[in-house]
Amino acid sequence: MDTDACIHPYPAGNSSARRMALEAGDLGFGGIVIPGAEPGEYYGVRIIPAIIISETDIRKVTGQIRKRGNGGNLVLVDAGDNGFNRAILAQKGIHGVRRIYRTPRNAFDHVCARLAGENGIAVDIDLFPLLQEKGVIRQKVLSRYNDLMRLHSRYSFPLTISSNASSILDLRSPDEIRLLCTLFGMDKEDTSRALQTVGTLLSPAGPVTVVS
Amino acid sequence: MREKKRYLLARIEPPLPDPDPKELYFAVLESVTSLFGDAAAARMMPVVITCGAGYAQIRCIRGYEEQVRIALAALASVGERRIALHPVATSGTLFALRRRIACLRPDCEEALLPLYFREKEYMARRYPGQKVDLLEKGIKSQELLFLTQEDLEEL
Repeated sequence: MDTDACIHPYPAGNSSARRMALEAGDLGFGGIVIPGAEPGEYYGVRIIPAIIISETDIRKVTGQIRKRGNGGNLVLVDAGDNGFNRAILAQKGIHGVRRIYRTPRNAFDHVCARLAGENGIAVDIDLFPLLQEKGVIRQKVLSRYNDLMRLHSRYSFPLTISSNASSILDLRSPDEIRLLCTLFGMDKEDTSRALQTVGTLLSPAGPVTVVS
Repeated sequence: MREKKRYLLARIEPPLPDPDPKELYFAVLESVTSLFGDAAAARMMPVVITCGAGYAQIRCIRGYEEQVRIALAALASVGERRIALHPVATSGTLFALRRRIACLRPDCEEALLPLYFREKEYMARRYPGQKVDLLEKGIKSQELLFLTQEDLEEL
């Protein structure tokens, strides 16, 4: 099931959650992640609730996870400087790190990549700046994603892809996302895998148990 | 020497009102140039042949259709208006592309109906399959909302 890892419907955006789900379904998605939503399904598209934590102090992040995190929610944390990122990537209860492109260049290094790979924490690729920005800003984002892909090929940490759409006009189909991701060296197989990561983050594969 | 061409069909979101073909051409060209550079844009030669009824037909040199599709996917606005272009099909002839449009043509209502939503007056355009677009009544900075019939019934 292809899933858009984060969208922001009305009132944060100009499209209702139902309309977003309807459009996402038409484009070929099986699920969408909505911060603060109730789990459910609209028009055959699964709604996955998420919690976004935007803190700069690791103790506050831990407190937020304890307070708000539960089994059904996807817990996403906004990335920060290198020390903060290393701390959150070693933290239990976090599913993904987002907004890597906003952090300094050394904020996500090989140590973070290894920690993310070992702990199964996904790194989110936000397509919003690729669509909305131009010139130097977009070049910087593409350059950060290129670095990320280099680390991904070495440390194999999970990736998610989000449109961060606040309107149906910001949504892109899985095929279009596969094309856009080639701009920073992500091949189509990796993109397809990244689009399906959200499902595995919520129900990670456990050890095999003998039932009978 | 005459070069082989490829024709791309892209769905325009929102389908109405139709964007100005000239503005759309400049937006596509701008998107191609900002992503791949002037030299590549000159090789690709992207041209908007026509646009209307929710679809745009775009021509480029054969071999560059994937890059043009990327540029279309990266396009977010035409002039001041926010828009999305979703590439639907690629063809070697314009005839085949036009045959394809005949099967895809959306049947949205041209007429706008007045409607109140959260104490504001909007004009509503309904589409088959629950979709409703609301355009705030007014002259400047009109709010555009994308809802469903169920959202309206819930209020």
